[in-house]
Amino acid sequence: MTGIGALTDASGHLAGRPLEEWNAAYEKVENYFHALRVRNKALLGLLVLRVLERAAARAPVEPTRSATQLAAEEMDRLVTEWFGEVLQASPVGSDQALSTRGRLALLLADMPGRWQGQFLRPGPWPEEFVSAMRESFLRAGPDFQLSKMTPRPLDLGPIATLTNLGRIPYLRMILAWTAFALLLIGIFWLTHGGFAKVMDWFMQFYR
Amino acid sequence: MADAPTMVAANPARLQRGWRLFLFYTSAVLLTGVVSLLFADLLWRTGWSASRTLLLVLFTVLFLFIALGCMHGVYGFFLRMFGTPWRITVLSKYRDQDISGTSTAIVFPVYNENAVRVYEGLRATYESLQKTGQLERFDFFILSDSTNPDKQVEEERRWCDLVRELDALGRIYYRRRLANEGRKSGNVRDFLNAWGRRYRYFMVCDADSVMRGETLVDLVKLMEVHPTAGMIQTVPAVVNAESLFGRLQQFANRFYAPVFIAGLNYWALDQGNYWGHNAIIRTEPFMQFCDLPQLPGRKPFGGQILSHDFVEAALMLRENREVWFTYDLEGSYEETPQGIIENAQRERRWCQGNLQHGLVLFARGLRGVSRLHLLLGISGYLAGPLWLAFLLTATWIRWFQTYTGLSDIPPVHAYTRFLDFSGTAHALLVFIICMAVIMLPKALALVELAYDPERRRAFGGLERATLSVVAETFFSTLHAPLLMLWHTRFVIANLLGVSVGWSPQVRAADGTAWSYAVRRHWGHTLIGLVWGWFMWWLGPSLFWWFTPVLAGMVCSIPLSVFTSRRSMGARARKLGLFLTPEEIAPPPELVALRANMKVHELTADTTPRRPHAGLAEMVLDPYVNAIHVTLLREKQLNPVYAEQLAGLGVGTAQVRELGERLLVTGPDKLTFAERLLITSDAQTMVWLHHEAWLRPGESLAPWWRASIREFSQRDES
Repeated sequence: MTGIGALTDASGHLAGRPLEEWNAAYEKVENYFHALRVRNKALLGLLVLRVLERAAARAPVEPTRSATQLAAEEMDRLVTEWFGEVLQASPVGSDQALSTRGRLALLLADMPGRWQGQFLRPGPWPEEFVSAMRESFLRAGPDFQLSKMTPRPLDLGPIATLTNLGRIPYLRMILAWTAFALLLIGIFWLTHGGFAKVMDWFMQFYR
Repeated sequence: MADAPTMVAANPARLQRGWRLFLFYTSAVLLTGVVSLLFADLLWRTGWSASRTLLLVLFTVLFLFIALGCMHGVYGFFLRMFGTPWRITVLSKYRDQDISGTSTAIVFPVYNENAVRVYEGLRATYESLQKTGQLERFDFFILSDSTNPDKQVEEERRWCDLVRELDALGRIYYRRRLANEGRKSGNVRDFLNAWGRRYRYFMVCDADSVMRGETLVDLVKLMEVHPTAGMIQTVPAVVNAESLFGRLQQFANRFYAPVFIAGLNYWALDQGNYWGHNAIIRTEPFMQFCDLPQLPGRKPFGGQILSHDFVEAALMLRENREVWFTYDLEGSYEETPQGIIENAQRERRWCQGNLQHGLVLFARGLRGVSRLHLLLGISGYLAGPLWLAFLLTATWIRWFQTYTGLSDIPPVHAYTRFLDFSGTAHALLVFIICMAVIMLPKALALVELAYDPERRRAFGGLERATLSVVAETFFSTLHAPLLMLWHTRFVIANLLGVSVGWSPQVRAADGTAWSYAVRRHWGHTLIGLVWGWFMWWLGPSLFWWFTPVLAGMVCSIPLSVFTSRRSMGARARKLGLFLTPEEIAPPPELVALRANMKVHELTADTTPRRPHAGLAEMVLDPYVNAIHVTLLREKQLNPVYAEQLAGLGVGTAQVRELGERLLVTGPDKLTFAERLLITSDAQTMVWLHHEAWLRPGESLAPWWRASIREFSQRDES
């Protein structure tokens, strides 16, 4: 009870830091425990205070770090150490596998619903809780039995011929030139008596 | 895979099908021939012309389509009235079949769907299956292709909740692909490549599917006693509709479909079709024969086959496997769009897929029956533009007659002059025949109802059912011209290779919003008004012939809005209209589903979500983050996924740098691909969780600070 247990000093500071800093630290830790669905307010308050006590103990010797930083680090350390104890696993590891495993175990063991009182509590813990935590696992699928489907060739018949037309080299250019040639022929024909023929034919066609 | 089946049924269906096909299609062709002759004679009265030839050709093709529909109804009616042994469920005794050696995967491919509905459908199916005592023969897979991070997070979280609630660890699985290559068929193929060999059968469900446990068990038993069956397709009953449009569609499905499918089964027998969901499939031949090739050419016809189901059935049949319909097996359910516009959106997707089948139609080796299935699918969408062409040609002929001042008086004797018809009476006769052919299956469904007390009760009595049929017919008369215009647009756009843009649906509290309906239907209304004015100008006599078509177009906006309303659906229900068996006596699976959906509806968090809320949840929520990371780590065990992850850049130093940027600048400054890379990297996701909570707020982007604040408040609530 070096920090929180002690009252504020003459300057109104707590463990050498302004009260506003501890307030921010409190909020940070409380938010995280909220996120872990620790709903019981009394428990929540106690857990936050426990973290802040650890942070306050470090505060005088680490004057460059803010109270929030210290509290966040202590919260992480406390939780990870507790995961290590409950799951009987080492907290070391760069990828923080234990943290992931621990959080998943909390969820699958239904800590928020059934075991809030056990969260961050030193052992021994109820056997049911321990086994629920240790045996929890999540599998997205059964063991793989890999294979590879490959499509069988499908002869599209006459349609393939049509689709292959698109592969003729310079098809677009040839089509454009052909269209241009047809346009010229059309203009010539229309301007040399064709227009009148079209009109006659048109009237006959739709009668 | 488990041992071979113990009971084997003989299959004499193939001997039957030849003459059945001949009889069925000949009936339709004969009817078409006779009526087309009558129509040709009508045209002959006013003097022949090229445009009349075109009109006759269009009439013949269109009449053939409706004659085929009518024949399905007629044949189906007689088969249902007098019974038939040619159903897979009665061809052999399957009820006592032991399925202890079998393994079946029930897969739910999803793509940015409503996760709540998907999971509740799965829950209802799971619990129903549990009651049969055969649960251990089945595994469930949610095969996600979702690209929306919000959806991804929700799917993961809800999967974990569902597994915990049902104590179904190792029974319900979740897998999300990194890239949705090949869409739904690619999704299923990916599942088969990873786990297919573990299962003798697999069953594909849609996001809105629900299956009764007994039905699932029956399907496995049927597969066991029919070792040559490759697929068995159930006929899903449309359920859970609430809007007026939804209930109309639901009623039509429940009331007419049994008759039509019985007719379809008459000629298809063991060469039926696959509709993409609510069907059981034999895994081994499917994996061997049904992987879809890429079609040559460019989109929209080339490339990946979109409507994969018909083609997969055709490939299965090509390899001498059977495909059956089980139209008499209840307990297979699906849902339907709740509004005209949503329905058209679905039609747009199906249209492209069906037109693409034109490329496969002449593929060598396919069975003739498969070609018929493909052709019927294509014709369903070509009918729209052909009908429009028919109406336009008729308008043109009338206009030309008016424009040139030609007389209405028949210039030549009618071929059928011995019948002593006037021109108007002749036209009326053709019209009445067309209407009769369209209406006959509906009338026959009513006759069947009248003779079947159980069915009568299931639809709320003969009187209510009759009124419902009349009202449904009135509605479909108004709806059909809209579908005609939409199908025409979709077909033309597809042929030109143009994508049909479709802005997201805007919904009011009780259905389609007026503004959205105006945006989607103003063209229909305008066409209806202009066309109507033009027909009136040409002559009121012809105008009245066109009113059923024009009315649907002119009234499209209010029709779309009002039929999308749940209150209208409820009012119709109160009046006893459009009742279905599942509404009158809901099966337990649907009762459970509705109850759970209601709970979700009442407890749902309706506060609008911030942009990238899914990402915030994935990083900040200790549990969601743990689930996500665990799934990513498991993904690494599959060499294919591991390769894809490595291809994305997962595990490189660049991801950590991106993570740092994400923390400092917020997600808006990163591209979608960068965010995808971050969320695909397990180590970075753990690190982000750690950093986001441990770093002082000042060193985080404002977006993170706001997210943490919001996250904490949300948890408090």
